[in-house]
Formats: sequence, C-alpha cells, structure tokens
Amino acid sequence: MAEEKKGRALATKAAASIPKFVRGNLAATIKAKEEGKKVAYAYIADGQDEIMRAMDIVPAWGESFAGVCAAKRDAEKYLQKAESDNFSRSLCTYATCTIGFDMIRSELGVDIVPDAPWGGMGRPDMILGSAQLLCDPRFKWPQATQHYLRDVPIFVGAMYYPPFDPKLNHHEQEKFYVKYCTEELRECVKFCEKHTGKKMDWDRLAEIVELSDKTWDLFIDTYELRKAIPTPMDTGDAMNTMVPLTFNLGTQEAYDFYKQLYDELQEKVKNKEGVVEPEKYRLIWAAGLPSWFALGDFQYFNSKGATFPVEVTYRGCEKIERLELPKTSDPLEHIAWRWVRYWTHWYDKARKRPGSLPKVERIIEYIEEYKCDGVVFHSAFSCRSWHAGIIHQAETLKKVYKEIPILILEGDIVDISSYNEADTHNRIDAFIEAVDAYKSRMG
Amino acid sequence: MKRYFAGVDIGSTMTKVVIFSDRIEATIIGPTGPEHRKLANKVMEEALNLAQIRFENLSYIIATGYGRINVPFADRQITEITCHAKGLHSLLPTVKTIVDIGGQDSKGIKIKDGKVVSFVMNDKCAAGTGRFIEIMADSIGVPLEDMGIISLTAEKAAPISSTCTVFAEHEIINKLASGETIPNLIAGIHESVATRVSAMVKKLTIEQDVAVTGGGAKNIGLVKALEKKLGCSIIVPPEPLITGALGASVLAKEIFEKYEREGQMPVRSSCGLQEAKIFS
Ligand code: SF4
Repeated sequence: MAEEKKGRALATKAAASIPKFVRGNLAATIKAKEEGKKVAYAYIADGQDEIMRAMDIVPAWGESFAGVCAAKRDAEKYLQKAESDNFSRSLCTYATCTIGFDMIRSELGVDIVPDAPWGGMGRPDMILGSAQLLCDPRFKWPQATQHYLRDVPIFVGAMYYPPFDPKLNHHEQEKFYVKYCTEELRECVKFCEKHTGKKMDWDRLAEIVELSDKTWDLFIDTYELRKAIPTPMDTGDAMNTMVPLTFNLGTQEAYDFYKQLYDELQEKVKNKEGVVEPEKYRLIWAAGLPSWFALGDFQYFNSKGATFPVEVTYRGCEKIERLELPKTSDPLEHIAWRWVRYWTHWYDKARKRPGSLPKVERIIEYIEEYKCDGVVFHSAFSCRSWHAGIIHQAETLKKVYKEIPILILEGDIVDISSYNEADTHNRIDAFIEAVDAYKSRMG
Repeated sequence: MKRYFAGVDIGSTMTKVVIFSDRIEATIIGPTGPEHRKLANKVMEEALNLAQIRFENLSYIIATGYGRINVPFADRQITEITCHAKGLHSLLPTVKTIVDIGGQDSKGIKIKDGKVVSFVMNDKCAAGTGRFIEIMADSIGVPLEDMGIISLTAEKAAPISSTCTVFAEHEIINKLASGETIPNLIAGIHESVATRVSAMVKKLTIEQDVAVTGGGAKNIGLVKALEKKLGCSIIVPPEPLITGALGASVLAKEIFEKYEREGQMPVRSSCGLQEAKIFS
C-alpha cells in the first residue's frame, strides 16, 4: 500500500489552501464532460495557457498530477507500469508516471482511472504539447502518450528563444524568434478551433492575456515582500504557491490568490513574523525541481534556523515593465514577446560580467537582493534537460561571483527510490555548518 | 590544570576516538561490525585508559560520523565534513582539498583556514567507496590490506567497465577465468574507484595541496591511481583514519574555550559513559 507522509506545516495560510486548488484542477478535468467542455493534456510553461482558457478548454497538467502522485508516495505503480513497456527509469519521471497512468486507462478501457490519487486526470480530447524547453520528453512525452490514447489528436508546438552567446547581440535575433513563436501559437489556435468546433474569441483572449500580465506583476510584487528580514515565506511554501501561476494562469482565481497572499505577507512583514525564529541563515533555491515526496526537507532546513526567501524554480514570470515589451495589438504576439523576453532580459547583464551566464546572473541578482548566505541546487536525475547544467552553473557562480557555500542535493522529482532521508539530512547538516563558517568568516 | 577533550567518530565500519589537550593524548580505532557500533563507550574507555584519565576529566565531547546522533555521552554532534576539515588542517595546514574514501561513502572537501568552503559526497552508490574494493577483494580472494601493494606489480590495469558493484564482481570473475592476472585486475579495480572519486571531487575545482583520508588512504595502489586521475600528488596523513575524530576533539576544545571566554558554561550531556541505544 502507498505510504503517505504526514502533513507538512506551512508558513502561510495561502499555501495551505493550495491542495484545494490542485484538487479543483483535477476535478475540473473529470467534470468537463458533463459540462460539455473539452479536456486537453497540457504541459507547464507552454505559452498556451491563455489560448486554452479563452476557448474553454480544461487543461489536465501532467506535471501537476505526477507531483501529486509523488507527494502522496503513490507513483510507483505508474512508474512500474511504464517500465513494463520498456520506458526506462532514467526517463523523465513526470512523463513515465503519466504514461503509466494512461497505460492503465487504456488497458481497462475506462475514462476514469480507478484508485488514482485525487481522482486522477480525466480522459483528454486532445493533447497540446509544447517543446520550448529544448527537452526531449517535451516532444516525446505527448507522442508516447498518444500511443495509448490512439484516437486523441495531438499538437506539439515549440516556443524557442535565442540562445545566449556573449559575443552575439540577441536583440537582433529576438524578433525572428518572436515571429516563429507567434506562428506556433497561431497553429495551436487553429488546432483548438478544429477540435472544439469553436472559433477563437480574440477580444476574450486579449482580456485574458491582460489578466495574465497583471498576475505576473502581482506575483512578483508579492514574492518581493520576501526580501524582508525575517522572511515571511520560504521555498517550502513557494512549491505550493506556484500552483495558480503555473497551472491557472489567465484566470481570476489565480489573480485573487496572489492578492490574498500579498495581503498575508504584508501583514507578516509588518509584524516581523518570520518562517523561523531566529532566522540564522538565508538561502536561495537556485535551480532544480523539488522531490515532491520529500518536501518535508524544507522544514528540516527550517529546524536549523535556515530559510529560503527566494527560489528560481517556478518563478516563471517577471514584472512586465522590466521586460520592455514592444507594443502590439496581437495577443499571440504579445505572449511570444513576453515568453522570449522572460528568458533574454538577463542576457545584457550576463554579457557585462565576463564568463557569466544568464542563469548565473539571475542567481547573483537574487543572492544580493534577498541577502542570501548560501545556495542550494537540487539535481533531479530524471530531468536531464533542466538539471544537466547545474554543476556548470555552480562552478560559474563561484568563478565569476564569490566562494559562497553551495549544496547540490541529489534525488528525483517522482522516483522515491533515488532518495535517502538520512543521507540527505546529513548533507544538509554539513552544509549548514559550512554556511555558519562562511558567515563568521564574512563577519 | 590540564584540560581534556574528546572526539568520537562513528563511521560505517570503524569507531575512532581521540583525546586531546593541547596535543593528541590518545587515539583508538575500534572494531568494526554491527554489534560493535553501539559500543562506542568501550572504545572511549580504552582511549581514556591510554590517556590515563577518567571520563569525568573530559571537559567537552563531540561526536561525529554517520552514527553521531547516537552517542549518548557526547555533548554535541558535528558532521564528519566539518570535523575532517578541522582535523586535517590541524595536522597539515597547507592542505586545501581533502578526498575522503570511507567504507560506505566518499567525499571531497575544500577548506580554507580549517573551515569548509564546499563539499561533495557520494553516498548513493558503493562504486567509488571502500566497499567496492572490499567486495572485489573478497571475490578474488585477496586480503583487503594486501590489495594496494599487489596492484603496484601490475603490468597493465585491466579495465573494469561496469560501474555497478554487482556487475563489476561478475566482470572480474569472468576476467579471472579468462586468464587476467590478479595484479592487473586489482589495478583495474583501483582505477575504477579512482575514476569515480576523481569525477566527483573535480566538481569542487581542486586546489593543492590535496590530502586523502579514510580507509582508502591506506591503500597505496588506490592513492597512486587517484594521483594519476587528479593529475597531482596527494599527501597521506600519518593516521588517515582518525582525522574526523581528531577534528571533533579540536572543535570540542575550541567550542569549550569560546564559551569560557564569554563567561558561560556549555550545556553537557547528562548521560554517563553508556552504550548507544540504537544499533540493536
Ligand atoms: S525532463 Fe524535465 S523539463 Fe523535460 S518534461 Fe521532464 S521535468 Fe520537464
């Protein structure tokens, strides 16, 4: 039987309301049929959120469902199922978890998979892939899923952004990438129109995009309250509070959630209410998806007087004005600019520091602004595309910035067999001692 | 009046105790094996006898190593990473990078003024640890302590391509059957461990001097293989097994004296010299 971990204490009331959000998103995929709505398998940071919302397509997020399975320590049955059809354990476990889930659905010939954590995902009417992260599973995962859902049509778009090259002026190239992304989004709209039988309401889309922009701004304003000492919220909570931005972008509920969180954090800052008392060490979660089955490790950090006022992971937005987006009346082009600039707006800064990288520049900016004493990365073995560069980032950070203590945790997002709590805690203990020594050296 | 401090390092295969004043008074390396792990008190007793002092003479005790939280008579626990750095620095102050090859894990530690700057660890896989060599020694029937010296007579290291310990054991048996010499095989085993350890330690950007500690440091063949992989010479401290316990004892002294300077007394464990409760 699945082993469920006991609940984790959260610092904010808003974060505690997130499970309801996630359950609601999953339930919506099951209720959609009754409401005459279409369900689409969707993948995070796809740039297609607003298109789906404008066309009343209900997204079923694979990463979210796999994360729920992992957090409930109930993913093994799906991983094993996928493995039985030769999907290697070293593949992305978000992908293999949901593929295993759909294999069971297809074998049983049912729409609703029995015994799925939180009811599972409803059967999709379409698969909307987006391969912009240069990650092979982002192409292959939707295709492999279709193998078990033969009748479900699939669209895999790609939202690329210019690669960083210190010798190249990316501003020249940006517009070509934006053009490409816009066309991809246009194809996505056509695909959705075909499979919903509805026409896109462009005014509605423009309104939704505007709401997303407002949500991006509010998200950053809210998270910047965490610069306070002591910080009112840490990454342990942020791994929950990312849900509305990541999975509900373009909805009023997402905006309202961050308004509620903003008010709560403001109150905490006013009352100097921190995550830990006393706050001895401030850390940055510099990269890496978390081990969803071991989120309690954030509390282990907290028990040592350490908090994370900032993280790179799931901070998938920026204040719109900082991106200096060109004006356009085409909402799809606006989404494309927002997407490309989200990545490239660190490029100029990185170019100014010889040897640096945009991702490292971002970490440096956060270390300075959030007054961090140490850096934590999590290298999840099954996510090669995102985690392969972690050691390079850590080395570059030391080279171009300073000898700040760095911890690289090793594990996975879903596969618990990669995890050993005692060893992880031992590493955290040693790291905290190193941070303590660093702080005393720095005075 | 002379003050005494103790460091207890409960590793995966050995228990080490160092009694320190302003110099090392006694060092003891205790027996291995699961039934012995809980008997840290016995190892401590031996160390006290050697130093000719009583338990009550100890002003402060620090436990380290993977079993550190289970030493009831220790006043404080500090990780082996910090203790290794401190212990090695007290013996060899020019060392900036430590490679520790223990029974169940291996680590790389970068130090500055005796304090840890960064570290890496392999605690996930037996390959790249002393355990790998131990298992291979068993399968070829050579005593562990002879592995190092025998490997020096190899003509050419036989490459071991499997990184998984179980498969590597199989590969070695096959190679043996097909006529590979024992020295060549042992040299191949050392090369395999050195490759994995050096790949891990290189993540730290190695700075010289480099020292090796832990059981692996007692294996001359492994040290030579590691030197080749890291491309620099490696210092082996006189007793590479006790650096963690030594560091713990030096830290015990430093912490105690810091309290004293601040006019305070450190909190002490209320337990006497009793055995650990857990390892049953
Ligand atoms: S490999 Fe990583 S980036 Fe790619 S889909 Fe999986 S989790 Fe996402």
